[in-house]
Amino acid sequence: MSAELKELESILNVTLPEKLVEEVVKVEEGHFDVLTSAKNAYDLMKILHEEAGIYHLSTITGYEKEDEFNICYHIQHRIEEEVREVPINFIVTKVDKKNPKTPSMFDFFEAAEYYEREVYDFYGIYFENHPFLQRLILPERWPDDVKPMKKEYSWEQMREITMKIAKEGMEEK
Amino acid sequence: MTEYRSRFRTLTDGSDAPEGADHHVFIGPQHPWAEEPAHFIIHLKGERVVEANIRIGFNLRGIEKAMENRTWRQNVMLVPRACGICSAVHQNVYVRVVDKLAGVEDQISERARLIRMFSLEAERIHSHILWYGILAHDAGFDTMLHITWRDREIIMDIMEEVSGNRVNYSINLPGGVRRDIRPEQVPSIRERLAKLRKQVEYHKKVFTEEASIRNRLQDVGILTKEDAKKTTPNGPTARGSGLPFDVRKTYPYEMYDKIDWDLVYYTEGDVLATTLVRVDETLASIAIMERCLDQLESTQGELLIRVRPRVPEGKYMTRAEAPRGEDIHYGIANGTDKPERYKIRAPSLGNIDATLRRMDSEYIADMPVILRSYDPCFSCTNRVMLINENTGEKLILNQDEFAQKAIKAKKYNRPFF
Amino acid sequence: MKKVLVMGGEALKNQAKGPVTKHVLKRIAENPPPEDIRTLPTIIEDRCIMCGMCVDVCPTHCLGIEKNDKDNGMIWMLRPQCMWCGNCQTYCPKDAIHIDVDPTLSYSLFSFNVRQDYEMLTAKGSFKGDTADKKLQELIEEGGKKLKEIEEFRG
Repeated sequence: MSAELKELESILNVTLPEKLVEEVVKVEEGHFDVLTSAKNAYDLMKILHEEAGIYHLSTITGYEKEDEFNICYHIQHRIEEEVREVPINFIVTKVDKKNPKTPSMFDFFEAAEYYEREVYDFYGIYFENHPFLQRLILPERWPDDVKPMKKEYSWEQMREITMKIAKEGMEEK
Repeated sequence: MTEYRSRFRTLTDGSDAPEGADHHVFIGPQHPWAEEPAHFIIHLKGERVVEANIRIGFNLRGIEKAMENRTWRQNVMLVPRACGICSAVHQNVYVRVVDKLAGVEDQISERARLIRMFSLEAERIHSHILWYGILAHDAGFDTMLHITWRDREIIMDIMEEVSGNRVNYSINLPGGVRRDIRPEQVPSIRERLAKLRKQVEYHKKVFTEEASIRNRLQDVGILTKEDAKKTTPNGPTARGSGLPFDVRKTYPYEMYDKIDWDLVYYTEGDVLATTLVRVDETLASIAIMERCLDQLESTQGELLIRVRPRVPEGKYMTRAEAPRGEDIHYGIANGTDKPERYKIRAPSLGNIDATLRRMDSEYIADMPVILRSYDPCFSCTNRVMLINENTGEKLILNQDEFAQKAIKAKKYNRPFF
Repeated sequence: MKKVLVMGGEALKNQAKGPVTKHVLKRIAENPPPEDIRTLPTIIEDRCIMCGMCVDVCPTHCLGIEKNDKDNGMIWMLRPQCMWCGNCQTYCPKDAIHIDVDPTLSYSLFSFNVRQDYEMLTAKGSFKGDTADKKLQELIEEGGKKLKEIEEFRG
């Protein structure tokens, strides 16, 4: 179909069915963006992991747009004979804001377990079939319904909550 | 088999133990052995380790949220403060993201790129020398600590003349560099680099031949290549287990593809292999610095190009090879002069899982050496979200009160807060 | 192959030389800090045009400005909050800032209401004299209020 999709398929030696892929963007020579929606993400990642042999996950980023969340998986395709890497940004779009849910990629990458917990901690996105979805970085006394990185909370509110928690901790001595 | 148990726990009192464990040991946030705060919970059966867990989050400062309130120009000075030791690398990656989004990356001159490479390699040298000095101290060999840290002063004096500061050299700016290496400074720099090279070759001789260090480091904590492919560490931790990937070779940036240097990797997978990877990388970095000085004599160019304060819309992800591994940033711009979203993932977070798996069924006495082997930098690991009371910010808790609370938490076995 | 006592030669040599701390004062006197070390900023009054670029670019918000036009205005600085980063020198359009002077940061702990912590970097035209002094006094009082908040929190 589009030229970038063909180029990506020839580098990875695999065919990506068109109904799963929304768009492929070429950022630079050897660096691609693959966009897909939340319904098809699990199937597309299965093809990339099992047939193309991608095993390295660098990190997972969540960001907020006006009416949806986007989650970006940064994976690298490693070619050991030539000592070369092809970075791919796998962006999952259309995650609903009122009821954010998306399938977890734990079956393919073991490192996805703690990166997805970080996104859950800061944005409140629920990952289905995750083995241990709990708090990773925030302290134990932090209120459960305040998800810090969302745009509705400002820096001053975060500061107030911190001072309140610290004061409670000091008084419990 | 047994179901999957995560190594990153949430409770800090060790009450969620696996089967087969008798008792547990804490290495808590305040500890005379550790440099940076993290809570390790180690479950034991007799003298052997059943499982090692960790609780992170003590160094959370809120850098990603703070970056959304400041302009792109002000953030150039906030990003290197994510870590004390690997500060030049974070600033370099940020500056390359801004260069690409503003559209000036083709106009940066070769002289500016060579000076950026010079400061990056100097940082790699001083970070590795610091690390293997402390590893020798953990293994009980204090003399090596004194001698390696004495030799580290040479590189810090060189960088003080070039950049104005011993540790946080913020030379990178969007559009080039801030200062120049003048021709009259070059001969004394070359002389000192030659002296440093002789000293580092002596350190390598001690690490490969001296019997007391080798007995502590050899065949301890083996990480096989299949385990490394499943848990994906990065940097020297992966290169000690046979995965020959280095961002400077696999996806080159600045001018690393035009200068001749060797990639270092070993296949044994124990702690001695990761040590030797770092010692060899120090020698390779000294060679790169000398070649940069050679090429600077014959290259002229403009040092700093003007970049506008408003950055047009777009997104970009880029990486660099920090002394500890692979450092990845992802920036999203929306046309104003403040960033929309900026994500930093520092290298130590990716190495924790692989290192904790190295400790399964090893002796408890080998544990400090293994925990030191992935070069922990917890300031890099937690950066997102709030103003923390633990990093000595005297606004909230005094140092004495903090230490007393830590002692009480350990004594009565209850959570810290 | 493993050998023993590889560091023997170096250890004996250092033993013969004696402790390093005997010579440290002489070494400090012989190696002064380099000339372009990064410390606090000062402004050359003739070149400043009161554009406010240094205030916009400072990451810690330690500079402040009040002005009428390019010949009448004042710029002040909170010394303990300065990060020694040098951004103000890089972005000043007239090269009017020097950052290689005395590096004394502050004179006491928790000092927000000590007179030496606030400095008027430049005061031009009609802002010289009384207006500058009054502004410094205001800043010191605000610093006193902040100090009281801290004391209350610590109880």
